[in-house]
Amino acid sequence: MKAKALVVVFAIMVAAGVGSTASAAEVVVGALNDMTGATSDVGKDYALGIAEAVNYCNDNGGVNGKPIKLIQFDYGYRVPEALTKYKLFKRMGAVAVLGWGTGDTEALAPTVTADKMPYVSASYSGHLANPAKTPFNLFAATDYSSNARATLTAWFDTRWPKHADFGKRKPRMACSFMFASPYASAPIKAIKDQATLLGFDIGPDQDVSLFAVDAKSQVLSLKDFKPDVVWHGNTTMSVSATMRDAYALGLGADHIINLWGFDENLPRLAEKAAEGAMAATVNAFFNEPGIPMMPTVVEYAKKFNPGVPQEKRLSRTVQAWSNVLGLWEAMKRADKAGTLTGETILLKGFRTMKEFELGLGGASLTYTDTDHRISGKVPVYEYKSGKFQRVTVVDLKGRWPDKWQSWLGW
Amino acid sequence: MSTTFLPCGEYHENYREDHAWWQTRFIKGKMIALMLVLFIGIPYVADDYWLSVCNQVGYTILGALGVQLLIGFCGQVTLGHAAFLAVGAYTSTLLTLEFPWPKLLLDLGLAYPLSIFVAAVVAGIWCVLFGLPSAKVKGFYLILTTMAAQFITVDFVITQYISQIGGRGQAFSLPLGTIKIGPWVIDSDVKVYYMMIVLVILLTTAVVNLLRSRVGRAWVAIRDNDISAEVMGINVVQYKLFAFFVAGFIGGVAGAFWISNLAAISPEHFPWFWSLWLVGVILIGGVGSVHGTIFGSIFMVVVMELLQMAVIPLASSYPKLLMDFLFIKEAAFGLAICAFMIFEPNGLAYRWWQTKNYFNLWPFSY
Repeated sequence: MKAKALVVVFAIMVAAGVGSTASAAEVVVGALNDMTGATSDVGKDYALGIAEAVNYCNDNGGVNGKPIKLIQFDYGYRVPEALTKYKLFKRMGAVAVLGWGTGDTEALAPTVTADKMPYVSASYSGHLANPAKTPFNLFAATDYSSNARATLTAWFDTRWPKHADFGKRKPRMACSFMFASPYASAPIKAIKDQATLLGFDIGPDQDVSLFAVDAKSQVLSLKDFKPDVVWHGNTTMSVSATMRDAYALGLGADHIINLWGFDENLPRLAEKAAEGAMAATVNAFFNEPGIPMMPTVVEYAKKFNPGVPQEKRLSRTVQAWSNVLGLWEAMKRADKAGTLTGETILLKGFRTMKEFELGLGGASLTYTDTDHRISGKVPVYEYKSGKFQRVTVVDLKGRWPDKWQSWLGW
Repeated sequence: MSTTFLPCGEYHENYREDHAWWQTRFIKGKMIALMLVLFIGIPYVADDYWLSVCNQVGYTILGALGVQLLIGFCGQVTLGHAAFLAVGAYTSTLLTLEFPWPKLLLDLGLAYPLSIFVAAVVAGIWCVLFGLPSAKVKGFYLILTTMAAQFITVDFVITQYISQIGGRGQAFSLPLGTIKIGPWVIDSDVKVYYMMIVLVILLTTAVVNLLRSRVGRAWVAIRDNDISAEVMGINVVQYKLFAFFVAGFIGGVAGAFWISNLAAISPEHFPWFWSLWLVGVILIGGVGSVHGTIFGSIFMVVVMELLQMAVIPLASSYPKLLMDFLFIKEAAFGLAICAFMIFEPNGLAYRWWQTKNYFNLWPFSY
């Protein structure tokens, strides 16, 4: 009897779930996050940030009075899972999706284009920034390729002139990343192009898994090349393992890192090896002083996830806030202009933003009909003496105006 | 579980009737109804989401069919089948994107269909390579050699070499309109669905027919006792390798099919977990049953989706339930396998067999 009752309850819940669609009074937004997969080391904090930021938006009037209903799924960084979840969002009446990884975002790009669904991803792949190819893919951050170019340039400008061999030979650069990961491989072509532009010798690529806890063999391979600087393209856990091994084996190179490998956990995991590491971060760090919106970010983190200690929160939260606030602004503008559809969110929302300031320490947002890279100015940070500090802002567009347009989309 | 009883009052009068696919009018009617549901009903009723769920069921069936053949019918345990799906997917993608097809074939839309066939053959041969150790080792040791297939194929060959062809973001991006069969561009869920249904029917039919033949009987003999099979004159090594070829062939078709549902392909699509998942499918569906492959796939995909649907109404009160769903799903996967091993080791196929016999023998089904 109990079993039958359970089956009936389950059937009713399934029916309610199958029948659930958006009501006119709310704006449905889907979110795909990785809490358990290959990128969960950075994905958990980002997911928390998404939910907190949406709560903030709702506390501040939602989309012109209509509350945002967030449907948030953990897809475990599995591409087939992401494809089905996207269809589910569509079925539930989502007007936009907050996506995650490069693999699934690129796999979904033609579908979101056909569906006219704004897809605001945590993947900042340069391949997604060309509206001629992927008009509905957006992100409130500078893209991986620009970040990679900027970080290498910042190293070249600030560190190389102080090197003992400066003026005697070319600097040497090598890349360490997971070849199979679309995220990690996204900016490789760009950084090598930048290295050539700046006159580097480029060493052999090293394949390091996103799950790596040991990268000694890769570091030993690099030792023959004697790089002055190594680009790390993975996420924090793997990057810190590689940097620790590089430190232990005396590689003697500086480290520049893609942004998902550079956060508050890096010095915790890599300890002394993290000293001097550089990266282009797209926002401020969590609880960084002097950032206008930071007190709000911290307040919502305390309010909605009191169980997560503040000192464990990462800059990923701030990245999540950027994407949510960017999308929120676009939705408000589109709604004010008349209707709230994927197309209006893009055309009347995002595309109307010119130097829009989020107040989170990142570049201001500008989206045009021909370019979804938000800015040519990229802030570069370094970890020094126990603190993350801003080194410089590299103005790629200002420094290479003739090349900037040709860098679009890769 | 091998015999399904005929309904009361039905008799076979010759061998042809005894070996017929559809043995009674009722079964014929039932199968025609099933075809109508598959070809007209589901595409008419289902929206994009449910069609994509169906496509995932089809992909799982195609993937698990080869695993079923190896484990369920030939007794060769495999834990690296995702590798052969990857070989099929990459071969088909490379042929579709890079191969200089004659213009006539391109115009006729035959590049992709031909690439499926070539991909299947390549995956079959690749699978035979990893089946070679089965001539010497079995059981636990064979499991390890098949696991090696995953690491050598996906993590080494494809990741290090194949996926580098043409540079990132160029060679393996499959923009809409790339996949074409004849005049039909496969650019929507419903078209992918039709392709999936046709492939599942073709391959299921082929496997069932193979199992009814001398080859199938040899495989079952090897599974039951390889020494006895050899004593009976069966060339054990040859038949084992043929099983690996057929399993790889089907895996290749599965991989080649799956690219029609994607816009970009990377080694991340073929993790080792997927090999494990496919073994879970046949354990739940029923080892040694083609029906079991289908039931297992439906169970693993649809039930998990329904479970998710059941969670959605609670999400407004407990938003974290949705985020934690993957934990629930993983736990449900493990729990389902344990439950089936304990309470129904013959899987869902056995339940289906019992149900069919109950109705066939009705009203004397005691």
